[in-house]
Order: sequence, then C-alpha cells, then structure tokens
Amino acid sequence: MSGRVLLRLALVTLVLLVIQSTLMLSIRIRGVHPDLLWLVPITAAILDGPETGAIAGFWSGLAFDLILPTPFGLSALVGCILGYAVGSATKAVDREATWLMPVAAVIGSVAADMLFAVLGGIFGQRQMVQIDFVAVVAVVAVSSALLVIPVNWAMRWALFPDGTSRSLVSAHGTRSRPW
Amino acid sequence: MPRSRRSRRTLTVIVLVVASLTIISIDLNGRTHSLTSGVKSVANSIFSPLRGAVVDILSPIGNFFAGSLHYGSLQTENEKLQATIGRLRAEQTEKGFENAQLRNLTALEHLPYLQSLPTVTAQAVDQNSSNFTSTVTINKGRGAGVDVGMPVVAAGGLAGLVIQSFHNSAVVQLVNDGQSRVGVTSADGVVTGTVDGQGTDATMTLDQVTPRTPVHKGEVMFTSGLDASAYPPGIPVARIVAFHTTPGAVQETITVAPEADLSRPLAYVDVVQWEPTP
Repeated sequence: MSGRVLLRLALVTLVLLVIQSTLMLSIRIRGVHPDLLWLVPITAAILDGPETGAIAGFWSGLAFDLILPTPFGLSALVGCILGYAVGSATKAVDREATWLMPVAAVIGSVAADMLFAVLGGIFGQRQMVQIDFVAVVAVVAVSSALLVIPVNWAMRWALFPDGTSRSLVSAHGTRSRPW
Repeated sequence: MPRSRRSRRTLTVIVLVVASLTIISIDLNGRTHSLTSGVKSVANSIFSPLRGAVVDILSPIGNFFAGSLHYGSLQTENEKLQATIGRLRAEQTEKGFENAQLRNLTALEHLPYLQSLPTVTAQAVDQNSSNFTSTVTINKGRGAGVDVGMPVVAAGGLAGLVIQSFHNSAVVQLVNDGQSRVGVTSADGVVTGTVDGQGTDATMTLDQVTPRTPVHKGEVMFTSGLDASAYPPGIPVARIVAFHTTPGAVQETITVAPEADLSRPLAYVDVVQWEPTP
C-alpha cells in the first residue's frame, strides 16, 4: 500500500472512531448501539480482496481497541479474521452486484459480533457472553445494512486515491478489477 | 492465482493473527498489562478532547430536536424532580443528627464511613461504549485523583468500580456487568452474600446465601466492608426483588435490582477516594 493510501485509511478510521464514540453511542435500541468497526474490513475486503481486508481489519480493530473496555487486541483479531473471510468468500461473486455490500455487511457484522463475544468469553471475559444476543443481532444487522453505504464510499476514497481500478496489494498475475 | 501470491496472503493473515494474540496476551497478563494500559492512556489523552469537541458541537443540535419533540414529558419530569429534591432536603435535615452520631461512632471504632471519605464528582461522558460490557466512561482520571479500584456511587447507590484510569478520564465497571462481584450484607447483618452482575441486564443475583435464611422482598443490601473488601461498608448496592428455595440447592435463588438507577444513562457520579486495605 502507498503512503497516501495508508494516510487516507488512517483518516477514515479516525473519523469512524469519532462517529462511533459520539453519534453511534447516542443511538440505542434496547441498550444496543450500531457498530461501525466491522464495516471497515468488510468493505476493504470486497473492494480490494482478502489481504487488504485483513490488514484494514487489524489496524482499524487496534484503533477501536484503544477506546473499548474489552481486552486490547481482541477487535484487531476479529477484524483481521473477518476481512480475510469476507474477501475469500466473495471471490467468486460478482463484486459489482448491488446486493453484495448490504448482504456481506449483515452477515459479516453479525458473525463478527458472535466471534467477538465467544473469543472474549474464552479469554476470561464472561460478561461478554451474558448479553441480549437477539437485540445485538437485530440492531447490528439492520444498522450495518444501512451504514455500509457511506462507509463503502469512504473506503473507496481511501483505497483508490486516483480513482484507478488497480489493486493496492500488488497483484501480479491477477486480472484488474472493475472498480 | 499464482501460488506465491496465495502463500503471501496466508502468511500476512497468520502474522496478523499471531500479532493480535500476542497483544491480547500482553494485555491480560498482570505483569505486562501496564504496557497496553500506558498505550491506552496516551491514546485516550489525545482522543478525549477530540471527542469532547465533537460532542459539544453535536449536543445542542440533538438537544434542540429532542427537547422540541418531548417538551411536555420533560416539563412533567422536571416537576417530579423538583418534588423529589424537596423531599430529599427534608429527609437530609432529619437525618443530619443521626449521621453525626454515626460518624462519631465509626470514628471511635476506626471504621471508614462513606460520608467522611473524600469524593471526586465526575461527569459520565459515555455509557456502554461496547455492546458487550456494562461500563461508563467519566471525565476525571488520575489527574483528579481517580485511580483503579475506587468505588463509584451515583443515583442512590453503588454504581461500580474504577477499572481503568487515564490522565483525564476513567472507565467504571458498573455493578450489573457480568464481571462485577460485590460482598454485601443486610442492614441487620442477618443476610450476607455476593451480588453478581448479569451482563447489561437490569437485574442481578444475590449468591452464597444459605437456604432458609430469612430474606424479605424489598430488603436493601449494603456493601459489607469485610476484610480485603473492594468497597467501604454501608453503601446501598441492591434491593431484593424475588427469591425462592429450590429443593436440594445449596443456596437461595435471589434476584436483586441495583439501587443506583442504571436503567437510564448516568449523568454525574461520585468517585470515592478509598482503597482497600491489603
């Protein structure tokens, strides 16, 4: 990745972090708020493949870990697994399909929240599996389907500064992508 | 896809997963936790003012819309609060004499008494920043004398315990968090046990109460302040809402509700500058 892309990714992550800790925390349904974090690796993976998804998920997760009371590094771990999984699972799919982003956002965010809770439980944070899972799944699924649209714009701006269709992780031998 | 690219991709993910696991291990290890805590502290010192500025900009806009939409209910709530303040002032005056007597007695016995302990009033800046924990972030930290392990009281009872302290902010684990445990006793000392948080749910359980202990619905449980307790004695923690004895069980099944009103966002809290004696 070029320095310009890294700078833009850092800026997008910072803006999302501020939005998450201010606006998103004020939107609560049954005590649950929307979660922007998982949308970064999901959109990065769909836009630029599993490797970019994993890298974006790791760094954005680490940034969110700085303000979360959960174990430091847990969001980074889930983010990188999520980015890689989404990128790999959508390889064979037409990535220009309009349904792909919302569907990936819903499935990916819900799966990431489940993995986050289970891993937290394994690491001794038993309160993480004592939550209202139905409310978390419902709120996170609906909000992710809506919020993935602006996050996708932001990530597209960050990953493709020249508006080019080149993959930013060097992709010798792979065909160029349509975006 | 060339094999070299696939191998590199796999290697990248493995490196990131190993790096994440290493960071988690460092954070959860008591001896190395200060490293991650230090990083978080620096990040919070930088990030808090930024978040505060955004909140300062957004709050008036949100309050304007919320106020205009709920004007009637806000006016009713304000009237109710005024009535409550009046009643509490009267009760406070009546209890002034009793409190003075209690303070003298506890001083004679060298026992800590909540009203004699210094407190730091702090504003709650956000509550439950994660969907998986029950915590509140306050705008006072080490710079104001707030340290890890200090009890926090608010809205009528024990709110929680400081679990992370940075220079300008701190994180409080609320009593209903799944990791929270508080040793409690009833006012007459007959019932003793542990109040366990049950996640973000409003109810908690009172454990380690032996069967056939005379418990009463509505009875308030206070911090016991026993040896090495994390809390000074006498802080209201929870009220018994239901109980039953299961045949053959080794303890009563008791459901309690927190005395501090945690069903709505906390606005201000008092951090009690008290640390347990080792």
